[in-house]
Amino acid sequence: MVISPSALDELRALLGEDGVLSANASRFAYEADAMTLERATPDVVVLPRSTDEVGAVVRWAMAHGLAVTPRGAGTGLAGGCTCEQGGVSLSVNRMDRVLAVDAERMLAWVQPGLVNLWLSQQLAPRGLHFAPDPASQQVSTIGGNVATNAGGPHCLKYGVTLNHILGITVVLAGGAAVTLGGEACDAPGFDLASVVIGSEGTLGIITEVCVRLLPVPEAVKTLLFDFDTIADACVTVTRVIAEGIVPAAMEIMDRYTVGLVEAWLHLGLPTDAAAVLLIEVDGPASALPAQAERIAAIARERHARTARVARDEVERAQLWRGRKSSYGAYGRSASGFYIMDGVVPRTRLAEAFANIYAIAGSRGLHAGNLCHAGDGNLHPHVLFDTNSPKQQADALEVSHEILRMCIRFGGTISGEHGIGSEKRSMMREMFEPRDLAVMERLRGAFDRDRRLNPGKVLPGGEAHAQTRGPAQLGGMAVRDDVQGSWT
Amino acid sequence: MKTAFAALPAACRCDAARFAIGGAQPGVALRPESAGEAAAVLVACSRSGFALVPWGGGVALSHESSPPPRYDVALDLGGLRRITTYDPDDFTVTAECGIPLAELRATLAAHGQELPIEAAAAATLGGALAANASGARRRALGSPRDRILGARFLTGDGELVRTGGRVVKNVAGHAVHRLLVGSRGGLGVFVEASLKLPPQPPARGLVVHGADAGLVADATRWSGLSRLEPAALTVLGPDAASLHPAFATGAPVTVITGFEGDPAWVDACIGRIVERLGAPVSVRRDAEVPPLWAALADAGEHPGPRLTFATADSAPPAIASLLLHPTGARLVFHAPAGRLILWPGPAGLEGLARGLESSGFSLIEQRGAGIDTPVPPAAVLGLRARIAEALDPAGTMAYGPRWRAGR
Repeated sequence: MVISPSALDELRALLGEDGVLSANASRFAYEADAMTLERATPDVVVLPRSTDEVGAVVRWAMAHGLAVTPRGAGTGLAGGCTCEQGGVSLSVNRMDRVLAVDAERMLAWVQPGLVNLWLSQQLAPRGLHFAPDPASQQVSTIGGNVATNAGGPHCLKYGVTLNHILGITVVLAGGAAVTLGGEACDAPGFDLASVVIGSEGTLGIITEVCVRLLPVPEAVKTLLFDFDTIADACVTVTRVIAEGIVPAAMEIMDRYTVGLVEAWLHLGLPTDAAAVLLIEVDGPASALPAQAERIAAIARERHARTARVARDEVERAQLWRGRKSSYGAYGRSASGFYIMDGVVPRTRLAEAFANIYAIAGSRGLHAGNLCHAGDGNLHPHVLFDTNSPKQQADALEVSHEILRMCIRFGGTISGEHGIGSEKRSMMREMFEPRDLAVMERLRGAFDRDRRLNPGKVLPGGEAHAQTRGPAQLGGMAVRDDVQGSWT
Repeated sequence: MKTAFAALPAACRCDAARFAIGGAQPGVALRPESAGEAAAVLVACSRSGFALVPWGGGVALSHESSPPPRYDVALDLGGLRRITTYDPDDFTVTAECGIPLAELRATLAAHGQELPIEAAAAATLGGALAANASGARRRALGSPRDRILGARFLTGDGELVRTGGRVVKNVAGHAVHRLLVGSRGGLGVFVEASLKLPPQPPARGLVVHGADAGLVADATRWSGLSRLEPAALTVLGPDAASLHPAFATGAPVTVITGFEGDPAWVDACIGRIVERLGAPVSVRRDAEVPPLWAALADAGEHPGPRLTFATADSAPPAIASLLLHPTGARLVFHAPAGRLILWPGPAGLEGLARGLESSGFSLIEQRGAGIDTPVPPAAVLGLRARIAEALDPAGTMAYGPRWRAGR
């Protein structure tokens, strides 16, 4: 939909010239998140600086019958911030300040466009940190993390984003700003914030966040084991927790993934092992040696072939490097790969791995696996050739089959990436129609006219989507949807 | 009224007198044995325009001084008390919500796991969730909303729905179940819930100190203690402390600190506390500790009016002035979560509440005190009312008006 020049002038009057991007070239930069399979160009991009400005944008959009889709850094993997129905892409990138830190009470108020890692970096001199650490933390924003209830490797011990949010200020569909929760642990009434967190921008636009902070652990110990079978790695994970040890992180990489990383970086990881298991414990320095020893003993009982223990920060970074470089390693090995997110009960991890290989193999594709093993959170990466429409279609089908397996095993179709547009059709397989109907009721209570990130999360949105652009992952594409000037 | 529930087995009926609230008995009390039967009760109520109150252990309801505006049906969830799924190695449990917490806690303890919800001994899972119950270890265990992974629940019109899931990470769809936490029977009925469980810590320590209000008021003693992340730091007035021999110090104030985790660390933390607060009255360890947590969870349970406040100021000095006041005798303050519980007797409650509100405490719950929690801004009030309308369109939940009117 074309927005009239006078309407754009109104918007510029609200936000200033530099707060409104309406040229084609600018708008195209906001047509997708990290799931580039689906693209849709917003009619206008706005860059507000405050809660008041967000409220003004929302009121303006409602008056003009436009949808508003909030956007953090655009690192989402589920199409959560594509503007499928056009309208306004509301970027919070200029709202990137730490507003206040209370070190004694261990909390901070921040704006939603603040990059996750920057917060912990700013807090480091005071010995505090913000625990949620999604893999995208160098880029992704706190607002995006809250909107998706993001996880990360360390949420085994520390919990997901929800567990670290005390309060949020939100602009509702009518443009009013409200603060839900606050600095205290509890607020009167039922907890409205708890349902806005993780709602992917559909219930309100988060404009300020009160985060709970934790002391930086006194010490950290990182261990790396390798196994001949994935089952042994998985049982080790379960046994460690059963001992009463809750490591900060427990990550599994499979043989395929280790092979790709080694071919690239030559870190000395064992390429013949079925699985590599990285375990990190943190806490008081006096406690860690005994914990590490106990963990090593459990791993040995489960036939670990070798154990490496990082002796210092350099070695620790090296052990993590393999895990953190996997994404790049997949990217080197195939022109396209589909990053998945599903969860199974931890006790069924080994079975899930076997199923993933069989499902991908049945279509002649490779699936490499990274996994937040302590949480049963799988991240299969299905590799394909972007020049092969068949492989691309097969990859999608493989992903659906893997998610069906997660449901069958008593798990879920998303542990931390969200539903967005990517998985909304799978919601019908995860939930009964009456479950989805009650979610729709909730949505209506917040946003009667479905103006906030419309069509996302719940099935049915597909029908209204006008996704434009080439359905292709990676690589360049011919822009036959572009009309008019690029400037 | 009898014909409305004709489809239910006769065995579902129970004695209405047991479910009186503020002196008012319901017309009928029903105890379904299955989720389907419970749904049928709500469907029948919404068709006939009856107002219903779900009952768990009656911890909160039995203390109410006045009944809800309408009260036709008591729904006793005691027949729904099965543990549906529990594979200890998954560290999750799914149970029906009528299960007493004590029963669930015992099952989990047999596998070296903890129930991460602290509530009065008589509480059920559903009741504790609906009340957003929490206790001394709130900061360490997380709140019920942090621990609930998903639930099956009934909407006011009797739809049996499920949101969330059973695995420890799950972001699929809208987490409507989290809204029911703390909704106190006003939005729907919890039928079954899944929780994320922690393992029992390798070591526990609990230190009891006698103190006076001066020590509590001395901010320098308490500064930095939050960095040790105590599992509990609870201040008790003398009447509250007299409830259990382990807490009776004879001093005007009892301070209880708890640490859980690695044995050497627990020892080190106990050392730090003794350094700050002086010689303790007693130090308890390991297996001695859980019964004292249970006693502490019951410390705020008394007949008569009770007020619960929350504050962001999680250090004991926040309540020092209250300890000098007679009200302070009947006080429990869980510092890490900033939760203050008072049962001051029937007089002057309104003034007490408003006075505390002006010093940074917000009234989050009142039991039998007949005063209002603060009225939120209009936009929040509207949101609450629309949610209540969406989940309970026929107005079946007798406590629904609490949210529709913003009380």
